[in-house]
Amino acid sequence: MDLIIIFIGAALINNFVLSYFLGICPFIGVSSKISSAISMGLAVIFVMTITSIVSWLINHLILIPYHLEFLTIPSFILVIASLVQFVEMVIKKVSSAIYRALGIFLPLITTNCAILGLALFAQMRDYTLIESIFFALGAGSGFTLALVIMAGIREELELANVPEPFQGAPITLIVAGLLALTFMGFAGII
Amino acid sequence: MKKILQIILVLTFTASISGFVLSSVNNWAKPFIEENRIKAISKAIFQVQSEGKKYEKLNINEMEVFKVFDENDKTIGYAVVNQGNGFQGTIKLIFGINEELNRIKAIEILEQVETPGLGSLITEDNFKNRFKNLNTQPLIQVVKGKLPSNDNEVQAITGATISSKAVVRIVNEAVEKLKKHNGIEK
Amino acid sequence: MKKQVSLHYEFLKGLWEINPIFKQILGMCPTLAVTVSAINGLAMGLATTFVLIFSSVIISSIRKIVPNQVRIATFILIISTFVTIVDLVMKAKFPELSKALGPFIPLIVVNCLILGRAEAFASKNNILRSFLDAFGNGTGFLIALLILGSIRELLGTRCIFGFQILPDGFSTLMVMILPAGAFLTLGLLLGFTNAYTKWKKEKSKKEILITN
Repeated sequence: MDLIIIFIGAALINNFVLSYFLGICPFIGVSSKISSAISMGLAVIFVMTITSIVSWLINHLILIPYHLEFLTIPSFILVIASLVQFVEMVIKKVSSAIYRALGIFLPLITTNCAILGLALFAQMRDYTLIESIFFALGAGSGFTLALVIMAGIREELELANVPEPFQGAPITLIVAGLLALTFMGFAGII
Repeated sequence: MKKILQIILVLTFTASISGFVLSSVNNWAKPFIEENRIKAISKAIFQVQSEGKKYEKLNINEMEVFKVFDENDKTIGYAVVNQGNGFQGTIKLIFGINEELNRIKAIEILEQVETPGLGSLITEDNFKNRFKNLNTQPLIQVVKGKLPSNDNEVQAITGATISSKAVVRIVNEAVEKLKKHNGIEK
Repeated sequence: MKKQVSLHYEFLKGLWEINPIFKQILGMCPTLAVTVSAINGLAMGLATTFVLIFSSVIISSIRKIVPNQVRIATFILIISTFVTIVDLVMKAKFPELSKALGPFIPLIVVNCLILGRAEAFASKNNILRSFLDAFGNGTGFLIALLILGSIRELLGTRCIFGFQILPDGFSTLMVMILPAGAFLTLGLLLGFTNAYTKWKKEKSKKEILITN
């Protein structure tokens, strides 16, 4: 039951993008088409889940036992960078179709603050391995959800008459603001 | 071959310097960070046990419990830290309770992310004062829309029932756990 | 042979022309998250500028000996070292601010601004220019954070830096302190700065036409 709460909490109530402001760069950059939003979202869910496992292991097998907590930031970010590199290689070998579909998005995931944020939050809240995994799945799904909704809205916006200075990032941010307001309605469902 | 050697050298060199610098800064910072932590928890404990002068941490499974003494080393009660789900996130609070575990002295909210202007009002004196001298036997109850008629009742904040109920629930849970510990062994 | 720009320009360009937030649209995450008040914006701006300057200077000084393949890894290692230093110093000497800014101090390491400037500038220019570039970009970032933080704090709590500015009769816009308010304010600000840039361009175009 607790695991479900962690999942829903990360996906809806404290949505990583709309409540914690993590993952904004790809949010603005990749959300113009629903298809790319879905691809990015799935890649993020995958990287997040693996990151949560590896960072938990590093934390509990190395950092805590040897009192090396001050090395958290460099070790986590190096893990994420290597993981993304590794995932890119694997996807390239396994399915070049998916690789081509994701294109430039894959390396961009490294600087996605949502991934590092996820690892840091899980460490701060002292989650167990299983809790971290559910947290990652929830956070990734929430990110994907916000991204896909945003892409849907932006595809419609293409046909609307947005004043030129507001096209692109400004109108996306304003729409995100309205989305954030809506998501506030999820508070209190658990 | 030279390229690979260069790569290994640069990475190892950078990592070593980085590790060295960080462990030095960490050693410098550690005492300050510990001092800050102790200052913060002392402040919270003496806020909810205003006659307290000293305290001692007890070993009670998942809760932080402190036995509080006055300047003559006489026990005046406990300070208990507990947390739980609020409306929008986790609420962490500390409360002072007497030795017999039937009267709350005071509560302080340590961490909360409730709705600003509504749930966040649990940090205001108006709400916190409702817990002063509260009876915990029977357990604390929440009343809505009217003043409490019994000394174990707390009136909820208008428009923030869930946050108010959460605070009461968190306090009750802690009191229950403490009572079960029966006589509080160290 | 690259055209040599003046040293003043290396610094000044970061303030407006390539302002990280208003023009480059980098470093959004901390911008939206910490600007609930002017002081938080200021603290974050200073922390980021510190990391930016030191990382850029170090990266620039070793740019000729870092092999291309491990460029990113080395940069990230250097940046994360300085971020950890800032984090530890804040926890030790400014615990309240550290708690207020929370996880966003460690997140400076993935602030696309820092890696972005390292890639685009520090790895290709000498130390003095890299320092000025970092200083300028950091200051531009800081100014943008201050503006955003002040607006949100003013409209949300009637105060700036804790000093009450607006009269008590002014009804506060609670939404300003919430995430939604952050998005809306930044979106509107970006729209207006774009409009201003566009207006300036049209104006100078018109002036060229008239003088011809």
